Amino acid sequence: MKILLMGHPNVGKSVFFNRLTGAKVFESNYPGTTVDFMKGWMRLEGEDVELIDVPGAFSLEPKDRAEEVAVKMLAENRDSVVVCVLDASKIERGLYLALEIIERGYPVVVALNMWDVAEDKNIKIEVEKLEQILGVPVVPTTAISGEGFKELVSKITEAAPVKIEKIIETAGGVSVAASAGEGEGGKSAAVS
Amino acid sequence: MKEKVVKVPLSVDERWDLIERISKQTVEFGARKHTLKDAIAELTVKPLTGIPVAIAVIYGFWSFFVDFAGTLFTDGFMVRLFDEHWLPWLQSVFPGGLGNKFYALMVDAGHLEEGVRVASDNCFEAFGVLTSGLFVVFGVVLWAVLAFYLMFAILEDVGYLPRLAVLVDTVLHKIGLHGYAIVPTFLSLGCNVPGVTATRPLETRKQRFMMMTLLAIFVPCGAQIGIMQDLVPEMMGWIFLTLAIGYLGFGFILNKIVPGKSPEIIMDVPPYQMPTLRNIGRKLWIRTSRFLLVAVPFVLLGCLIVGLMYLTGAMDWLAAVLGPLLMGWFGVPAETVAPLIAGFLRKDLAVGMLGGLMEQGIMTTFQVFTSVILLCIYFPCLATFALMLKEENWKEILGSLASLIAMVFVYGGLIHLVGIMLGVA
Repeated sequence: MKILLMGHPNVGKSVFFNRLTGAKVFESNYPGTTVDFMKGWMRLEGEDVELIDVPGAFSLEPKDRAEEVAVKMLAENRDSVVVCVLDASKIERGLYLALEIIERGYPVVVALNMWDVAEDKNIKIEVEKLEQILGVPVVPTTAISGEGFKELVSKITEAAPVKIEKIIETAGGVSVAASAGEGEGGKSAAVS
Repeated sequence: MKEKVVKVPLSVDERWDLIERISKQTVEFGARKHTLKDAIAELTVKPLTGIPVAIAVIYGFWSFFVDFAGTLFTDGFMVRLFDEHWLPWLQSVFPGGLGNKFYALMVDAGHLEEGVRVASDNCFEAFGVLTSGLFVVFGVVLWAVLAFYLMFAILEDVGYLPRLAVLVDTVLHKIGLHGYAIVPTFLSLGCNVPGVTATRPLETRKQRFMMMTLLAIFVPCGAQIGIMQDLVPEMMGWIFLTLAIGYLGFGFILNKIVPGKSPEIIMDVPPYQMPTLRNIGRKLWIRTSRFLLVAVPFVLLGCLIVGLMYLTGAMDWLAAVLGPLLMGWFGVPAETVAPLIAGFLRKDLAVGMLGGLMEQGIMTTFQVFTSVILLCIYFPCLATFALMLKEENWKEILGSLASLIAMVFVYGGLIHLVGIMLGVA
């Protein structure tokens, strides 16, 4: 098992990585590109598990080289648990990436990082409700001060793949207007 | 009741629709409080207060760089260690002695004074692998790089850089660059290699090409700045001014002649954060160790190559061939050929060698100035060039090289011309 750390740029992913790994870290180059990523090890239930800091990506539809590498790394590590780091103060755009990863069948743990910033901005997130809808562990964290990390680590082994259909169901379905309005073939079809 | 068949993966719209549903049920956006963080954030972005803050930050950065690296470590400790202990000790114990070829390569080539070969009394002059080579890396440059990366990591982790970028956005628009350009430029002041890497978020090939070319030509690295500061501290203002004018002026021209688009870059401005000691320490360690890994072999190798070229007479031959061009066009003496050769490998070593020439008293102040500028602009160091080879396609590489050559001759000649008009060249 490996753990992939994924998230948007600027969500505190590198601080996250440093908090989770020990002293031995390697910066490696993704073969054939000039994109670098960090690799380290963390203790999980008495075992050393490899942790990879995947280059920041906004979505899995790559727009630059770093995102291309992120997508490739995800595909190459099918047996991984993905810790998806979100900026809690911009939770919606972070959820986009998280959903994409869930759709591809990876076990995911969602870290709502920058929890302190969200609090400053007076954004209230019902973590339990979110956890219930998504069906994956959701943990508020503040990487800078180290809050929430113990819980996060304990949740990694609980992560399991979730079917997106299940999430849509608990969230109350996808509105027909949105998908029908697309007007393109190959999209989900509403059957009466 | 509608039954739905969901096709995975979802379409973009379906995914956003789902997110909206989830967020409606779980997230509540309260009225925003205006916090101290917000107040600081605004102060540093609005031009009226932001520009003085930026000047203060850069001044603080520079003062720390000079005082910590230059005055405290290099002048206060390392120069004494190397010149008063290391060099005399090596001169006394190393086999061979003055005139021996191996001794000349490794320790001290000495120099001629009225036909007599005399020993060097400082590590700038000695030119040996174990003297000048080690002195450049561990006596001067390591401290400069360390100081730079420490300050840079703090600015980075606090979140100041994107704000600086927003602040200079309007100015840089005038030359077809964007505020974001400040990030690779700033980073290049530490080392051009990560600077070139930082051009990746730029969207079009034109932007990346322009940025890389400008970085490679006009932005001196921390190692180079450290040793320049040690050698010619009184000239630093003029050096930076000359380079900045070149950067902006040449950027303006490149923007006009390079085909392609330069779309606006949307930048993410993260909130200010307290930096953590652990993160800064880790960054500092990774960057500094990586620097040493590249610098030590290249500097020592450069020392060896230049030493061998002196010994075999190749250097004198080159000086004789290129001398007229160097003197005629750029107004610098033929002896600068040696630093220019070394500069292909490492700029810090090259400037260090210039120091050796200065000690021998064969250059005027203006010639020193011109040589320092030439060393900055004539070629990126080998490590940077290798990275550019990877990042650019062959057309762009040729373009970069052509701009480089044109730039060196035009700008170098111009500086000479200004010198002639001022009567100092």
